[in-house]
Amino acid sequence: MKKNNPILQIFLRPIWGDNPINIQMLGICSALAVTVQLKTALVMALAMTFVVSCSSFIISLMRRQIPNNIRIIVELSVISTFVIITDEFLRAYFYDTSKQLSVFVGLIITNCIVMGRAESFALSNPPHLSFIDGMGNGAGYGLVLVSVAFIRELLGSGKLFGVQVVPESLYAIGYEDAGFMLLAPAAFIIIGLMVWLQKTLTKGRGVNK
Amino acid sequence: MSDQLKSITFALALCLVCSVLLTAASTIFKPAQEQNIKTDRRKNILKAVGLIDPESAYSSERVDQLYSKHIMQLAVDQTGTILESLQGAQPSQEAALPIYLALDTQKEIDAYILPIETRGLWGKIYGYLALQKDGATIKGFTVYKHSETPGLGGEIENRWFQKNFAGKKIVNQSNQFVSVSVSKGKASDTVTEQNLSNYVDGISGATLTGQYLTKGLQTILTEYEPLSIRFRQNILQCRMQSDAPSKVQGCENEKK
Repeated sequence: MKKNNPILQIFLRPIWGDNPINIQMLGICSALAVTVQLKTALVMALAMTFVVSCSSFIISLMRRQIPNNIRIIVELSVISTFVIITDEFLRAYFYDTSKQLSVFVGLIITNCIVMGRAESFALSNPPHLSFIDGMGNGAGYGLVLVSVAFIRELLGSGKLFGVQVVPESLYAIGYEDAGFMLLAPAAFIIIGLMVWLQKTLTKGRGVNK
Repeated sequence: MSDQLKSITFALALCLVCSVLLTAASTIFKPAQEQNIKTDRRKNILKAVGLIDPESAYSSERVDQLYSKHIMQLAVDQTGTILESLQGAQPSQEAALPIYLALDTQKEIDAYILPIETRGLWGKIYGYLALQKDGATIKGFTVYKHSETPGLGGEIENRWFQKNFAGKKIVNQSNQFVSVSVSKGKASDTVTEQNLSNYVDGISGATLTGQYLTKGLQTILTEYEPLSIRFRQNILQCRMQSDAPSKVQGCENEKK
């Protein structure tokens, strides 16, 4: 694929250069809450990707019809419809995970990433590009979530996707799980370190805004 | 068309479309959700009596199988007599209360389980409390639905809080009913040694949730006290239809 393919650019930009969590500092709250286990993080990332890409697509379809004075309310109605559908779906087919995620699926409505993409991208771009942009942002958000969850679950409970990976022999010679990793402050510190790492790596090249 | 009229029309149309979508989603997913809720409750009953390991995953078929093998849903009236169903209470008495019995492989009573429904800080707390057949020792406690603050009162759904209940007593050292209470902070720091068996560790930052739970457990345990007394004195009484398919062993049928 060509390096300057615009669709690819739209998809890749939010994954690295303009990452919603690491660069734009949005959606931190849910990133702290759902990253104790990889499974919840992955489900949350998929739910988020679905909501942000579909709502961006629909909002972009209606962008010429939406009356400007009720713009925000219209965006919110579209977003909350998708969020509720996602929540109902998870309750029907992923009951245990949905119980663990508790309020956080519902709180996607208030996640600034979704609103932000609708306002800054979907309202001024055609539907297919808005959909790609939503996918990119969901993937960027999900990538951070899954990386944080990987570190927390591995160090905090010695498991990955609920499967024990730290061998018993290691516990036998005195290794212990870091209980701190299961607490929210641990996610805060990990995200902080990731932001630092990314800012250091991209220094000099500038952030593509 | 004026701008205002256009806005209102647009908003109405959008609301209509969204509500149709939401109604459809709710209708389509409802059967699967109800099935999940039913399995989850059964799972919590089994968890309360320790027939399910809370750390591992169980398929819904496995849960149903264990449930039908070990759990009997019955009722109990105000005198502590075990009835076949909630409708079995005599007209002179108040309504019967639901009760679950856990049976071992010999069909003998191993524990009895009280459904818990009590006020919490933000909404109702639903769960199960299992008591051993001595009528005094708690076997387990689970919560399957609540609206407490995640991370604070919400900790009541976590294993570390629930496992504190196992082995606690609802009676004091002279065998008087006192219920079980959630202490403020660690139980060993706040109550005297002789009361330790009636207190579980509290959750820091969730004092009110603990207080409501204490109050609720006390009310519910008082309601079921007639049955607990019968268990303590080992004089169980039942009122069942003679052709009841599975009678409870160790339970004398009431003389008519």
